[in-house]
Amino acid sequence: MDEPQISLGAPARPGPDLPGPFAVGRYANKLKDWMRERPRVLLIGEVTGVGRSKVQAYFELRDGDGAVPCAIWLNDLERAGLPEGALRDGAEVVIAGGLDYYPGGGAASANFCFRATHVRLAGEGDLMARLEALRTQLRGEGLFELQKQLARPVLPKTIGVVTAEGGAARRDLLAGLGRRGWGGTVVWAFAPVQDRHAAPKIARALQDLAARPEVEAIVVTRGGGSLADLWAFCDETLCRTVAMLRVPVISAVGHERDSTLIDDVAAASCSTPTHAAEAAVPLDCGVARAEVRRQALALRRGADGAIAARARHLGALARGPARALQRQRTFLNQKTREIRAASERGIAERAATQRRIAGLVLERARRRALGQVERATDEGRRHGAALDTAADRALAQRREALHNAAVALRAHDPERTLERGYALAETPDGEPLTSADAATAAGRFSLRFRDGRLEARTAGDDDA
Amino acid sequence: MPDGAPASYEAAVERLEEIIDRLDSGQAGLRETLDLCKEGKGLVDYCAGELDAVGEGLKELNLDDLAAKLDSSAGPGA
Repeated sequence: MDEPQISLGAPARPGPDLPGPFAVGRYANKLKDWMRERPRVLLIGEVTGVGRSKVQAYFELRDGDGAVPCAIWLNDLERAGLPEGALRDGAEVVIAGGLDYYPGGGAASANFCFRATHVRLAGEGDLMARLEALRTQLRGEGLFELQKQLARPVLPKTIGVVTAEGGAARRDLLAGLGRRGWGGTVVWAFAPVQDRHAAPKIARALQDLAARPEVEAIVVTRGGGSLADLWAFCDETLCRTVAMLRVPVISAVGHERDSTLIDDVAAASCSTPTHAAEAAVPLDCGVARAEVRRQALALRRGADGAIAARARHLGALARGPARALQRQRTFLNQKTREIRAASERGIAERAATQRRIAGLVLERARRRALGQVERATDEGRRHGAALDTAADRALAQRREALHNAAVALRAHDPERTLERGYALAETPDGEPLTSADAATAAGRFSLRFRDGRLEARTAGDDDA
Repeated sequence: MPDGAPASYEAAVERLEEIIDRLDSGQAGLRETLDLCKEGKGLVDYCAGELDAVGEGLKELNLDDLAAKLDSSAGPGA
């Protein structure tokens, strides 16, 4: 940590804490031993770059994910009993072996390889296993769905076809299109359909076709064969290319029982080129032409029919108002007659009624008059009696009033006062003297008592 | 499809079927009937045109020839 950093423009010493340095030859031999102790395994893949020396054959075994350099001693290769030339580029093989390392030395170069001790061509089982693994992977990535989401025109005018130039598939496809009544344009893209060069060329042909704007659908087809024969159509790169194309791809590879990976990624897969033709042109053009004729007829019928029916209806409607008017007129006449009859009948009835009413009124008036006369007579009698009674009552009342007045008069009568002991001063003529002055002026007067009169004179009168 | 060309043959056929169903139902008014018939005639013409386009006999082209033609027309002086 506290080691001083020496910097003279040179890079710092790498890994100062690592063990070593060791002598490289010793290290290389240790590496060889370590590698040879690794467990032996089986590998499967495609053979490429085959070469031979005097003692061994060498090649790369590869697939879409990677490659391993391999070597096999020629005597081991002979013992494997492969057919002549079977170990060639593009062959799918299974090898058994393990890691090996040649340390080199002197002038010889060091070399790493997978040392195969056994080799055989890959069988259906091996290929199926690889196919399933690839299928799982591509499905997991969603690549099976992309093509299926593309719209497939029912009536493309131009379709592209990838197939072998001389194959039966080409003939079958044309026959299928002919049966559809389809006479559009086919753009052929011929490509090898078997061997290790096939897949890239098929992919390239598909891309070129898809690049042409007039191409609306693409068919990829070849006849049947073993899975090894069809293996190009299981190529991962090819299948990824198909999945990404903008144009729907219809695959018809092999026969019904064959299932290649391109069938999974394509928009549609068919068992034969004939079916592929039907999938590429879903519309049966012969049927469609008949159908369009039928629709054109239906339209004409629809238009004519609608107009004719409406014309009839309109005619009926036009006659309608006149009929309605006639109906109304008849109705009106009928009503008029009824009203007239009713009014004549009404007048007679009213006259009779009025006569009846007049009779009743007169009768009622006569009775009322008679009643009045009777009532007046009764009243006269009643009045006479009342007058008698009233006269008696008035007489009595008057008598009573008189009596009352007499009582009242008596109460005021001076004589009554004299009776109670008072005296009345009077002049000799009998005029009452109601004041002292009057008595003084009179000089002589008389005092009347209850029981007699006394003459009296005022005192001043004596002096005189 | 009152305005413009149909989106595709199948769209045209689908609309045409609708129109004929509507006409057959007898419920369309006169104005609608005439409009539908006009629209339907356009669709029939379109469909017939599409069928005619693939009715004149199959033509075969080769992609390699097309590519070569494209290359020569794109060459210098072209």
